Amino acid sequence: MERTRELLVNMGPQHPSTHGVLRLMIKLDGEQVTWCEPDIGYLHRCFEKLSEQKTYPQVIPYTDRTDYLAAMLNEQCYVEAVEKLFGDAIQVPERAQYIRVMMAELQRITSHLLALGSMAMDLGATTPFLYCWRDREKLYSLFERITGGRMLYNYFRIGGVRNDLPEGIIGTPQDGEDKSDKTIWGFINYFDSYVYPEWDALVTGNRIFQYRTKGIGVLTPEQAIAYSASGAVLRGSGVKWDLRKNLPYAVYDRLEFDIPVGSNGDCFDRWWVRQEEMKQSSRIVKQCLEWLAENPGPVMAKVPRVLKPPKGEVYHRIEGARGEVACYVVSDGGPNPYKVKWRSPAFTHLQLMPLLVPGHKIADIIAILGSIDVVLGEVDR
Amino acid sequence: MDFLKERFPDAPMTTHVNGDTEILVPKERYEEAVRACYDAGYKYCSVVTAIDWQDRLTLVASLCRIDPNEVGARNIHIKVDLPREGAHIPSISKLYPGANWHERETYDMYGIRFDGHPNHRRILLPDNWQGGHPLLKDFVDRRPKRPRLVRHRFAE
Repeated sequence: MERTRELLVNMGPQHPSTHGVLRLMIKLDGEQVTWCEPDIGYLHRCFEKLSEQKTYPQVIPYTDRTDYLAAMLNEQCYVEAVEKLFGDAIQVPERAQYIRVMMAELQRITSHLLALGSMAMDLGATTPFLYCWRDREKLYSLFERITGGRMLYNYFRIGGVRNDLPEGIIGTPQDGEDKSDKTIWGFINYFDSYVYPEWDALVTGNRIFQYRTKGIGVLTPEQAIAYSASGAVLRGSGVKWDLRKNLPYAVYDRLEFDIPVGSNGDCFDRWWVRQEEMKQSSRIVKQCLEWLAENPGPVMAKVPRVLKPPKGEVYHRIEGARGEVACYVVSDGGPNPYKVKWRSPAFTHLQLMPLLVPGHKIADIIAILGSIDVVLGEVDR
Repeated sequence: MDFLKERFPDAPMTTHVNGDTEILVPKERYEEAVRACYDAGYKYCSVVTAIDWQDRLTLVASLCRIDPNEVGARNIHIKVDLPREGAHIPSISKLYPGANWHERETYDMYGIRFDGHPNHRRILLPDNWQGGHPLLKDFVDRRPKRPRLVRHRFAE
């Protein structure tokens, strides 16, 4: 009997389920994938080269555009790195720190909502995607009122944030669903009482969804560490590592939250970790809101007109929505960064594809890709 | 960081503003330094990159320790000075598979070759890119200049 021939298939560039321009080369033996290699670079926008020609504050809008689904987390990473370079010269007001943390956690919720929604859609469930869009929209209209932008904010500044929260946006803890797109408390209450249980019932408990994701793309803890995985991918494999806890930055050491950890390291666990993380984020936001309601104050430190950090280097790591976002800034004492290196989690995670995919069916590629949640803007920078 | 100090007593060691340790080792001892960190529990490679100082290149490999119970574990940056022309260095991607793509990117952007790398190709730029290594400071953009926009004149 004749054996089937191995077939080289080109997925992409711009396969609809890759959330960006990604090309996957795969070798198929029947329905089984035997080899896979991602080909990236289609969205390369020379972020690192461009930032060498800009002044320090001018780089902030570019950082938004690396991971455009979690823009404020990127801003936080860059801004804190530059503040570290200044040492004690810039003292960020406490209120600004709390606003940053709150915005970062709200941003994490939007990012995870999209990650979950698009993964479910790739697996054939269209409804959750529309639900995620509906809830994200509420948060985006809140962001628009606070920062003026919906997706790309340029809100964090070196030394604080651009403006204080507008009046009335915090709301009161009693705000219900009707205020979910008007006050942050309204959204958080809506999220806790409605969005989270709905996701849990609609997707996580869905039998078809579980069949498609359980036992698929298993990543052991040792492999996860060796392959530099971080964020939900690392925690899905059962390694309890979160930079917010293990390397506290901003005011995370004063806030109370747990780290959800998976056990099997398959696609389902990575999904589940993201879903639980949203709940923890809402816990953090609540604590920030309570603090912010009682403590008015300045939101911007006194900074010189032209920012010239002293000579030095800093490598600052924060917990982004997708994993460890880090930024290596080298200063030569001038007004422009001498070098900016952006360590993006999605770039590092995409290396897992050749490891996880072989041996699975072709339809599982989409589940695996969805569960490691890549954003190609961040991969190619 | 005592294990590094013992092993490399004359290598200059500095501390960054945020507490990270930085050690500058000679090129021949790069692998040894990485191995020493690996054995000391630094099993996670955060990033591999390079800095162009215009008279030399500096390779930076940033390693850290992943211990769920530890708070405030800081990175070690292993640095190696390399010449700007024809730089090459052993690859660490056998020890740290996660460094694979970061090394490819460093080659792509700075032109440092990694000996023994399993897939030594460009990564972000196309394979047939002829324009050199863009993050070098003396990189010249050789693309043809864009034609200047001509203001449209409406008929009078």
